[in-house]
Amino acid sequence: MSEVTRKPTTGPAAASPGEVPTIWTTGWTDVFNTGTWRAATPIHEWRPSPCHADCPIGNTIPGWIADIREGAYQEAWLSLVETNPFPSVTGRVCHHPCEGHCNREVIEAVVGINGLEHFLGDRALEEGWALPAPAESQGKRVAVVGGGPAGLSCAYHLRRLGYEVTIYEAREELGGLLRYGIPEYRLAAGVVDAEIARLLDMGIEVRLNAGLADRAALESLEAEYDAVFLAVGAQQAKILRHLEGGAGAGRVLDGLEYLRRCTEGVARDLGERMTVIGGGSAAMDVARSARRLGHQVSVVALESRGAMPAQPEEIEQALEEGVALFDGAMVAAVEAGADGGLTLKCVKVTLDLGAPAGELRPVPVEGGEFALAADVIVTAIGQDPDLAPFNGAFGDGSSDGSSVDGATGGFVECAVLVADPVTLATTRAGVFAGGDVASTNRFVSEAIGAGRRAAYSIAEYLSHPDACIPERPKLEDSVNRTEVNSFYFEFSERRERVVAPAAERLQAFAETISVYSTEDANAEAGRCMSCGFCVQCDNCFVFCPDMAVQKDPSAAGAEGVAPGASECASEGAPPAGAAVRVVAAVPCVGAPADSGPFYFVLDQYCKGCGLCVTECPRGAVRLEQVNL
Amino acid sequence: MHTYELDEQTVFNSGHNACPGCGEALAVRYVLNTMGPNTIGVVPPSCIAIICGPQPYSSMRIPVYQTTLEASAASAAGISRALKRQGKHDVNVLAMAGDGGTYDIGFQALSGAAERNEDMVYVCLDNEGYMNTGAQKSSSTPYLAVTSSTPGGKPSDKKDITEIMAAHRIPYVATATVGYPDDLARKVAKARDMEGMRFIVVLTPCLDGWGVADDGAVRVSRLAVDTGFFPLYEVEDGERYTINHGPKGIPVERYLEQQKRYRHLDADQIKEIQTGVDHRWSLLQARAESMARPVVCD
Ligand SMILES: Cc1cc2nc3c(=O)[nH]c(=O)nc-3n(C[C@H](O)[C@H](O)[C@H](O)COP(=O)(O)OP(=O)(O)OC[C@H]3O[C@@H](n4cnc5c(N)ncnc54)[C@H](O)[C@@H]3O)c2cc1C
Ligand SMILES: Cc1ncc(C[n+]2csc(CCOP(=O)(O)OP(=O)(O)O)c2C)c(N)n1
Ligand code: SF4
Ligand code: SF4
Ligand code: SF4
Ligand SMILES: [Mg+2]
Repeated sequence: MSEVTRKPTTGPAAASPGEVPTIWTTGWTDVFNTGTWRAATPIHEWRPSPCHADCPIGNTIPGWIADIREGAYQEAWLSLVETNPFPSVTGRVCHHPCEGHCNREVIEAVVGINGLEHFLGDRALEEGWALPAPAESQGKRVAVVGGGPAGLSCAYHLRRLGYEVTIYEAREELGGLLRYGIPEYRLAAGVVDAEIARLLDMGIEVRLNAGLADRAALESLEAEYDAVFLAVGAQQAKILRHLEGGAGAGRVLDGLEYLRRCTEGVARDLGERMTVIGGGSAAMDVARSARRLGHQVSVVALESRGAMPAQPEEIEQALEEGVALFDGAMVAAVEAGADGGLTLKCVKVTLDLGAPAGELRPVPVEGGEFALAADVIVTAIGQDPDLAPFNGAFGDGSSDGSSVDGATGGFVECAVLVADPVTLATTRAGVFAGGDVASTNRFVSEAIGAGRRAAYSIAEYLSHPDACIPERPKLEDSVNRTEVNSFYFEFSERRERVVAPAAERLQAFAETISVYSTEDANAEAGRCMSCGFCVQCDNCFVFCPDMAVQKDPSAAGAEGVAPGASECASEGAPPAGAAVRVVAAVPCVGAPADSGPFYFVLDQYCKGCGLCVTECPRGAVRLEQVNL
Repeated sequence: MHTYELDEQTVFNSGHNACPGCGEALAVRYVLNTMGPNTIGVVPPSCIAIICGPQPYSSMRIPVYQTTLEASAASAAGISRALKRQGKHDVNVLAMAGDGGTYDIGFQALSGAAERNEDMVYVCLDNEGYMNTGAQKSSSTPYLAVTSSTPGGKPSDKKDITEIMAAHRIPYVATATVGYPDDLARKVAKARDMEGMRFIVVLTPCLDGWGVADDGAVRVSRLAVDTGFFPLYEVEDGERYTINHGPKGIPVERYLEQQKRYRHLDADQIKEIQTGVDHRWSLLQARAESMARPVVCD
């Protein structure tokens, strides 16, 4: 046998010891770049929930509800008072627009956000929790004129930002309409007192019986302070002239006046039969207060019941309490009645749909005449601000709105002070205005929100190093119903607060609505889906077929700043505790140091299928098209 | 609120070749990462072989033997016996084959291995067709589903591989799907820790073959269970039945409408499918119940 010299080959047979046959695996697929297949990129991003977008104060609702869910009530409350210093007040009287577009409706019913706010507010008062201490002094002073919710909220946020604040209030007590308008049975004075006292404990100076009288007074405030916030409300009742003369003389009262008397306990014999004119909350408050004081009450409203501006439950409760409602009607004239009282000539009306927005044009219905007997008429048809003190201060000297440039800010339009919608600045440098005086959107939460925005705007005006005006997220940018994944949520009935039966309600001015029990609050918090607010459920991580979603607890602190801690955080930025936007393995922007594992997407592998987006129960991952 | 707790090890790699959003890749992830690194894999021709990697690269950080379409169970049995011969009793042997390679072409090897109670975990990744070669029908393709070889819809029913395997009276048979990852992972872990022949059929939506959106694998998989089309259950020793997830009162139409392969169906056909689903569900319940009862003589 002769020796055969074999040629080296490249096939498997050629493998020498230590070399790997080519049929063997030599490496892992993680060297490949399947990310190039992608047409869209998932982005983990904190996104506003619709409840947050709808809250006039800017409450980051899913954040503090998540704390309730974990039983961390004080933390929840602290997170809530970041924006709203009056949760016990708003928990009772806010018209809760936050519940209007709550995504939970896709499962069974919207979350009882207002009830949870009530629960936290009352828990804080019970436990005596203090508001956070003010930041380091900015060495500047701000005057707040008007101690209603707008002024108090502004004072609170300014104080937190490190300003010295003095409130000038015309009346003998703070609170504005919270104290002198909204009746006791809906909002007990003790609650208002307690939340205001806690706020003043932060070190806010108050001058009572110190109304701003005239332009000179304003000018001296401007000289003395670095900025001024005007929040004098709108407490001048609109009147119906055609009722006041003749037979009506001395028998027509305005609603605010009546409610003020109720609050002050100054009863007066007005006669037994009362007719209230108006279809809003104030009219219901007058009617229901009068029922508690033993009057026979009828309400005449221009709008039909469904279109009345009062909250549906207020109307329902008024009816239960024995108020007679004549909706879609108006009082055309007043005559002396046979029994020494008045005869109100009424007529059924429809509303002219072609009327300009904000204006009601009643059209009498033929043959719709009817009459009501009454001893006293109370009108509750809205209020205007008292602008007399500012006469001439804002430009052209007019105070009646007749020669106004409403677009650029000037004096009055629809009889409100015109302030810039974003900065709340008036035409006078350093003078800001908000709440009822500058808006026809007359709600407590709107006033508190305006106060908050004004505080940050004033801080910006005074060159605060980190404050900027919070931007209100838009509803259309918030997580919508198609973006939550209903599979992950089980049916769970909404908890309701208990309302006392009508007979009991009529006995006194005691509050009629109960607060959630701890169990109810926990259950209700459990219903919130945390829209847009990552709760680290891991779904995005679990369902990626490419293992492109990663979590990295260790890197969380690396680049982390807690955005909620920065006063500059706009409402479009994640609140503290949110896990966050991270693209392509870059440590997340704004990850709070203690946020636990957070998620990022590996650019190299993500194929852009969108599974992580769809299986995120709450819309906290978004798919962004890749620009080719 | 629902959260998944998975105990995953890193065996399956990124950078694999599965389509974006692939249900089968998701299943491979849960299966491999639950089996753990102390495993030898056997994979026949199928999408799984593609996902495994373009040779010489692998997406599976374990030794994998790529066998023939007919032979998965036989190859796995050989490896399993060889390991025992070497005294290695702690290495898991895992065959992962498609439905074509299980219900049809690999069936006699599978049945034989089951009859001999060979020691392996056999996972069928069931995408209801020969997807890797262009979506032809297999005996797993459901009634009326369109495939490239049944353009008018498949005229016969899906073969019931679960009951066939249970009838082999092997230690463990289970159904699972990617929309219920915790259930799937639990079953794999349970099978891993048993001995003898263990068989799991995992329904894995094929986006292209079924005509499902890229983000739809999990949704569709879940609907398969929630409509009762594919109940999740276990059978131990051929007789101890446990039903894990059954229909939730959702009409099967919700499942069908997510998939283009059912787009041609008319109302009567949908009704017919619904009737079949209801019928099979009641049979399964009856079987589970009767099997659970102890046998009493005379
Ligand atoms: C009867 C009634 C019921 C209501 N119910 C509700 C409700 O249930 N929910 C809801 O959201 N909203 C309700 N509102 C509306 C809500 O009360 C107001 O929108 C809100 O109080 C406005 O807050 P504000 O701070 O702007 O004004 P106000 O609350 O009016 O406070 C203004 C303050 O400024 C003081 N002031 C006035 N002039 C001067 C001056 N020249 N110098 C110094 N101080 C001055 C006033 O004394 C007062 O304290 C109700 C209103 C009424 C009238
Ligand atoms: C005996 C034999 N016939 C045909 C083929 C071609 N072939 C390769 S993969 C495949 C499809 C397998 O389908 P399935 O097992 O369901 O796996 P899937 O691709 O669907 O994952 C076929 C038919 C083959 N490899 N061997
Ligand atoms: S479910 Fe929670 S986060 Fe979502 S809208 Fe409702 S209250 Fe807000
Ligand atoms: S699931 Fe994975 S591959 Fe799909 S989009 Fe999300 S990160 Fe990318
Ligand atoms: S799926 Fe879960 S972990 Fe992932 S972003 Fe959404 S909430 Fe966060
Ligand atoms: Mg197949």
